[in-house]
Amino acid sequence: MDKLENLKDVWKNQAVTGLNYTKEDIHNMVKKRSTSIVKWILIISIIEFLLPYVLILFTDLETPSRIYADYGLGDLTRNYTIVHVIIILGFIYVFYKNYRNISADSSVKDLLRDILKTRKTVKYYIYYNLLMMGILGLHFFYIIMNSEMFISKLPENANITVLWVTAIMLWGLFILLVWCFYRIIYGIFLKKLQRNYGELRKRE
Amino acid sequence: MTKELESKFAEELEKNQGIIHKVCRSYTNNENAHKDLFQEITIQLWKAYPKFRGDSKFSTWMYRVAFNTAISLYRKSKRSVDTTQIYDNLKELEYQDYDDTRDKQLDLLYQAIYSLNDIEKALALMYLEDKSYREISETLGISEVNARVKMNRTKTKLKNILNP
Repeated sequence: MDKLENLKDVWKNQAVTGLNYTKEDIHNMVKKRSTSIVKWILIISIIEFLLPYVLILFTDLETPSRIYADYGLGDLTRNYTIVHVIIILGFIYVFYKNYRNISADSSVKDLLRDILKTRKTVKYYIYYNLLMMGILGLHFFYIIMNSEMFISKLPENANITVLWVTAIMLWGLFILLVWCFYRIIYGIFLKKLQRNYGELRKRE
Repeated sequence: MTKELESKFAEELEKNQGIIHKVCRSYTNNENAHKDLFQEITIQLWKAYPKFRGDSKFSTWMYRVAFNTAISLYRKSKRSVDTTQIYDNLKELEYQDYDDTRDKQLDLLYQAIYSLNDIEKALALMYLEDKSYREISETLGISEVNARVKMNRTKTKLKNILNP
């Protein structure tokens, strides 16, 4: 007979180990706090949503306000902010909906899918923020560099093209660094889940 | 949640705790991690218990939550030690006809299961528990055909580990 089939008998007759819990032990356990990944997903995601706004609190707001006034950027900033807030609220809603679907009594594949979907919302939120930084940055650079006030302050032999390229490269480098940092963190955090989900999705 | 519900839950869990111990022993390799995982599974079962309507057997439902916890939700215990450590808590058996061979066979089987990946561990456990392919497919969330193929692959792998 198949050795594995023989071992089934050994398996079925195994006694519970020395760790045999009583009803009281179980009552005490249910009162303890969960260390599950879902709690951490929520905490880290909230931090990721709020971080850009927390950072703003620690920046000097006076200088940007002066620049907006000097270069007529007030209206543009307000319009971008309105669109941005609507989009952010949309992300928060989708994140919350996905988060609520996470349930320990789903099938294994569905649970993995729901956790990864929830994290994907945050990933796309970060990408959206990086994209907005890029678009906003370029738009602001364009307006500032074409303004009379800026041109009048430039030295005589200044090369606008070089200024443009330098500004775009530095801004692009900053965005790239943030993106790389985030990809690494995201990868480490979800490596095991992605591997297990891939294993279940594989059609043999 | 009422005291009554908690009491009923504790009673059911105490009766069926063997299931959780089997999962813990398959997914961890030391006593501390086993205890941590057992606790996390218990918490997840308790959270999900009010939703349990008896559509499936309690044991099937427990397996599902236990696998989900071990595969997706559990964060490895900081108290984990050397990964090659064999369980050092061989129980004092109360059987009159104590059989050391069966104990060693069981240890080897658990070590073999532990060396599989997370999904294969679940498949191995469900095979040993004689779960139907329908139950396996529902628990894992894959088709029955896929469950059969994955199960055959897992059994072959397990046989190769036990008979190198």
